[in-house]
Amino acid sequence: MTTITNISLSRRRFLGGSAASAGVFMLGLHLPLGRAALADDVDGDMNAYIGIADDGTVTIRNPYIEMGQGTYTSIPMLIAEELDIGMDIIRVEQAPPGEAYRLLYDGSRRFTGGSFSVRSAFKPLRTAGATARKMLMKAAADEWGVPLAECSTDNGRVVHEQSGRSLGYGELAPLAAQLETPADVELKSSADYRLLGTPVARTDSAIKSNGQAQFGIDVRVDGMVYAAVKQSPVFGGKVKSVDAAAVRDKPGVIAVDEIPNGVAVIAQTYWQAQQALAELPVEFDTSETDSAGFSSDAYRDELDQHLDDSGVAAEDSGDAPAALAAAARTISADYHAPFLAHATLEPMNCTALVEEGHCTVWAPNQGVDSVVMAATEVTGLDADRITVHTPYLGGGFGRRFIMDYTVQAVTLANRRKGTPIQVIWTREEDTQHDFYRPLIAARYRAGFDDDNQPVSLHTTTAGDGPIRRHMSSPDEEMKVDPSVMEGVMHQPYAIANKRADYVYRPVAAPIGFWRSVGHSMNAFFTESFIDEMAHAAEQDPIEFRRSMLNEEPRFRKVLDTAVQMAGWKGQAWDADDGRKHAMGVALHQSFNSIVAEVAEVSISDIDEIQVHKVWCAVDCGFAVNPRIVTMQMESGIAFGLSAALLEQITVSDGKVEQANFDSYPFLPPQRMPEVEVEIVNSGADLGGIGEPGTPPIAPAVANGLFALTGKRLRDLPLRADEVTA
Amino acid sequence: MAKLTVNGKEHDIDASDETPLLWALRDIVGLTGTKFGCGQGLCGACTVHVDGEVTRSCITPLKQAAGKSVTTIEGLSEDGVSHPLQKAWVAEDVPQCGYCQSGQIMAAAAFLRDNPEPSDQDIWDGMANLCRCGTYLRIHRAIKRAARKEV
Ligand code: FES
Ligand code: FES
Repeated sequence: MTTITNISLSRRRFLGGSAASAGVFMLGLHLPLGRAALADDVDGDMNAYIGIADDGTVTIRNPYIEMGQGTYTSIPMLIAEELDIGMDIIRVEQAPPGEAYRLLYDGSRRFTGGSFSVRSAFKPLRTAGATARKMLMKAAADEWGVPLAECSTDNGRVVHEQSGRSLGYGELAPLAAQLETPADVELKSSADYRLLGTPVARTDSAIKSNGQAQFGIDVRVDGMVYAAVKQSPVFGGKVKSVDAAAVRDKPGVIAVDEIPNGVAVIAQTYWQAQQALAELPVEFDTSETDSAGFSSDAYRDELDQHLDDSGVAAEDSGDAPAALAAAARTISADYHAPFLAHATLEPMNCTALVEEGHCTVWAPNQGVDSVVMAATEVTGLDADRITVHTPYLGGGFGRRFIMDYTVQAVTLANRRKGTPIQVIWTREEDTQHDFYRPLIAARYRAGFDDDNQPVSLHTTTAGDGPIRRHMSSPDEEMKVDPSVMEGVMHQPYAIANKRADYVYRPVAAPIGFWRSVGHSMNAFFTESFIDEMAHAAEQDPIEFRRSMLNEEPRFRKVLDTAVQMAGWKGQAWDADDGRKHAMGVALHQSFNSIVAEVAEVSISDIDEIQVHKVWCAVDCGFAVNPRIVTMQMESGIAFGLSAALLEQITVSDGKVEQANFDSYPFLPPQRMPEVEVEIVNSGADLGGIGEPGTPPIAPAVANGLFALTGKRLRDLPLRADEVTA
Repeated sequence: MAKLTVNGKEHDIDASDETPLLWALRDIVGLTGTKFGCGQGLCGACTVHVDGEVTRSCITPLKQAAGKSVTTIEGLSEDGVSHPLQKAWVAEDVPQCGYCQSGQIMAAAAFLRDNPEPSDQDIWDGMANLCRCGTYLRIHRAIKRAARKEV
C-alpha cells in the first residue's frame, strides 16, 4: 500500500493520564461498567465525570467531542437527570485522556463517531449522576445524623424535609468525595424523567453566535508561530528536493522544514507562511508509491470487471443464485458511488508545543487516544507526558479520526522545543489530502416468481473499506469489511433467498469514514433497487415494501409515518409552480435507528434537480433530546443531499482533481429543502442520531426522479441531464 | 503599516498591504471569531462588515480596508448576546459545529439592515454563505424571527 502516514484508530491500548482541576472536587466515581480496567483508577486517580465547585457549579467531563451533533447538551443531560440539577449550572468540559472515559467496546475504546455517543453513555452516565447524588445525600445524612432514607434532593440541594434543613451540593461535595462509592444505585424509570425526552436547548448556541467558541484554528499560545504545508500532490509521494534558500528571506519566514509527506514553511503569521510556501520550489518523488498511476475512472472500470466474481458472502440465506436461475423473471442493475471528501468547514489544523519531557497538543479530534498515540510515536515520550486539549470541532464527519495533521504539528514542534506551532491547511490541501469515502460499485439482481413475487435478491459489492484500512493489522485477513457491507446485508425485507457478496479490490487512495460510512452508499443502492423491483413487479413502492415487512413492525411504523406525513402521491402531479413534481421514498436502518424519508422533487427552470421538501420519520428507540434529534435529521439530510446532487472526488495519476469549493461544491442554502421530522419513540434499544438521517435521502430523491421522469439514475452524484435528456 | 478601526478601536497593523484582512484580524489584531474556510471568497466563513458593507475578508487585501471601519462578530453587540440576531440564533438553536455561524450572522445583520421586512424568497436570495452542517433552515427561521422582533 501507499506510504501515507496513517496513525489512526487502533486496537492498541495504552494508559493516559488525567488530573483534577484546581478548586473542583472530583467525585471519585468508579462506574460499575462491569470491567476490571477501571480498577486502574482506584488508587486515588480522580478520573471522573462530575466535579462540583464550592458554589455548586457542576463540571461535567464529557468523553465525547462536540462537532455539531449536540453531545455537549445531550451527554450532560444524562448526568443532570439523575443528579437532580438544572442544565443552567452545568459547565461542560472535554474529558482528558484516561481509562475511565472509554465507554465503547466494553470500556476499551473512546472515540466520537459511529453515532455511538448518547447510546454508549446512556447507562454509565446516568449511573454517574445517580451515584454522585447518593453520595451527596449520604454526606448530608451523616452531617445531620439522620437516616439516608429521610433525605431527598431538589435541584442541586439535599433536603431533610422533617427538619426543614437543606445543604447545597457545593457545600457537600468535599464531604461526599471522602465517601465510599456506592456499588449499586437505582436509576429512575423513564416515567420520572424531568429532562430526558424533552427538547432541551443546546448549551453551545450562545458562544457559537458571538465568536467566542474556540476551535482548533483559534488556539493562541504565547510565542506561537504558524506553519503552512504542502503535501505531495500524488498520494504517498515524498519530498525529492526543496530549495529552502529561495524563501528564507521572505517576510516573517522562520524556517522551512519537512513533514512526513511534504514540506512546511514556518512564519510569524499564517499569511506569511502561505505566501512563502507558494513560492517555494519543491519536487516530489513518486517512484515508490502505488498511487502514482491511480485513476478513479480506471478503478471504477476495474470494479465493474469484478461484479460477477463469487466474492465472500456477508449474508447468505436460502440459495439466492439458484433461486435467481430458477426465477420466472429477473432484473439486474449496476450502481456506483464516487469518492467523497468530508469538507469540514474548518480545515485540518493542529497546534503543538514540545518541551523537555512534555508535549502539549491542541487538536480537533474524534479520538483523543489517537492524538496521544500520534504524539508518543513522534516524540518518543510516554503517554503520560502528553497533554491534549480538544477544542470545538468545525465539523468532523469522520475526518478527524485520522491524525495525519496532528503528526505534522508535533513533528515540527518536536524539532523546535519550546516554540508552539500551529499547522493550518489551506482548503486546497484539505480537499486533496482527505481520507475519502471509498468509490464502490455494486450489482444487484432480483428474481420473481410467476405471481411477480420476489424470491431472490443477490448482490455483489466491490471495493475497499476504511475498517480494513485503519482498524486491522496488515496481516489480518478481513474477509468481510463491515464498512463496505453495512446496509447491504441484513435488510429487513422478507425475501426467501438472499445473498450479499463482498469482493475486495484494494484501492491505492486514502480512504476513511464519511458520515454514515457504508450506509451512505449502500442505502442508495439497496433502496433504489427495491424501487426497481417494485416497478418490475408493477406495484406501488410503498405497498411493495410493506408487503415484505410483515415481521418488522418498527420498519412498517416508520415507513407509514413518513408516508402519512407526506400525504404520499404515487404518481407525478402538476404542482402550483407550473411544473411536474413527484415523490420518492426510502427506508433504511443504520446505527440501530430506522429512518424513512419521502422527497418531493422536480426539475427546476434551470434544469437542476430540485428537492422541495423532505418528510422524515425516525425511530431511535427513545429520543433523549428530541430537539437535537430533529436538528440531526435536518443536518443529515442536507449532508446526504449534498453528496447526492453535487459531490464527487476524482483522481487522475494519483492526484485529486478537485481543490476548493468551486470544484468541490457542497449544498448551498438555495438548494436546501424544507424538512419536517417526526420522531417515533418505539422504546427499542437506543439508536444513534448523528448519521442515520444521511443514508435515505439519495435513494428517496432518485426514486422521486424515477416517478417524475421514468428514468433511473444509478450513479452518484445524480445528474439532471440524464433524466431530462 | 495600515490604520484600521476594528469594532470601534483603532489599530496600526504591521503587515504587508496585500495581507488579507482575514489574517490581519485573526493573527495580528487577535480576533479569532472571523473564520477561514476557503480563502477564495467561496464560503463566507470570513464575512465581516467594512464601513457597513458585507465583505469576505479572505479576499480583501489590507490596503482596501485601510482607514476604514471594520466590524467583526465580536463587535456586533457590546455583550455578545444582545443583538437581535444573536438572540434569534440562540432561540432557534441554529449552530451545529458553529464554524460558519460568525459569517452567517454578519451576513444576516447587513441583509436585515437593508431588508428589514424580508419575504422568505428575499432571505433565500440574500443569504449565500455556506454551512457544511446544513443549518440553513434554522438560519432562515432565525432571520425571520429577528425581523419580526420576536426575540
Ligand atoms: S474564507 Fe472567505 S469566503 Fe471562504
Ligand atoms: S454550523 Fe457547521 S458549518 Fe455551519
